[in-house]
Amino acid sequence: MADRSVDRYLRDLKEDVRDLPKAQQRELVGEITEHIDSALAEMPAHTEADVRNVLEHLGDPADIATEARERLGIHRAKAGLREYVAVILLPIGGLIIPVIGWIVGLVLLWSSPVWTSRDKWIGSLIIPGGLLLPGELLLYGGSVCSNTSVNGQVATDTCASASGCASSSGDGGVRSRRGSTDRDRHLPRAPSERALARLRRMP
Amino acid sequence: MPRMVDPGTKQTSPLTAQLRRGVLEHCVLAMLEKGERYAFDLVRDLANVEGMVTSEGTIYPMLGRLRRDGAVESSWQESPAGPPRRYYRLTSKGAGALEEFRGEWIRFRDAVDRVLSGGERHG
Repeated sequence: MADRSVDRYLRDLKEDVRDLPKAQQRELVGEITEHIDSALAEMPAHTEADVRNVLEHLGDPADIATEARERLGIHRAKAGLREYVAVILLPIGGLIIPVIGWIVGLVLLWSSPVWTSRDKWIGSLIIPGGLLLPGELLLYGGSVCSNTSVNGQVATDTCASASGCASSSGDGGVRSRRGSTDRDRHLPRAPSERALARLRRMP
Repeated sequence: MPRMVDPGTKQTSPLTAQLRRGVLEHCVLAMLEKGERYAFDLVRDLANVEGMVTSEGTIYPMLGRLRRDGAVESSWQESPAGPPRRYYRLTSKGAGALEEFRGEWIRFRDAVDRVLSGGERHG
């Protein structure tokens, strides 16, 4: 029982310090773990309340992470208008202004200091940017692909890899759409969910 | 006790936070002046000084910073019971920084005191 709250605490801490350099993450989590171990070792017969007390004295993991960031001179930027507009434009911007809307979303995404490069790749290729792009391209007659497809297949391939959907082929909208949906379903969800969770936590 | 941080909203001015950080680092150095100390005890003692820190956990990033700056060093030592313990020790660089801070602090404190008491007189 007691161990579970310690585990939860350390898990929260690890999550909160994810944007620190790896060495500092290990160091900090290691020291906090030692602190908890030392505190509990002083009370061999500790109760759940004792454990809670130890964790309360340590403080909110988010505060520890903030302190570490400031000590390291890392500034976590806060999400502002740019970030919200990017998140709106990436999935539906292409529906408002075909292709251009999505590209503007992409530019906003990549110019934002809030997200890590990893987040940006996820945002571009999977969620929210990549998921609807193949559909949008088909919806608008593949405006990017077909407009440029002088020699059909090559241009389509380039386009498909850019949207993170390797299976879209130029022949027949329905089949190609189903193909991309299947593929999307098999894409790893966990990283994109974490990226969204991170965004949601932004003040 | 004058409260710099409201635990509800956690609003500390950046300047206050910076000032507090600088002072805190040197307080840690002072606590290590008489000899090396077990990290856990050091953190507990510092956290028990009223108004010094908001939580024990936030002291660890500061210790990491001091270590990277070369003001302190840490080593593992066997403990009579339980896992090995991490001990912190002042380096000569840290001792020098502490001496410098002492002089600065006294001058700064006296200057602030003079201004504050002067303000009271005129106000």
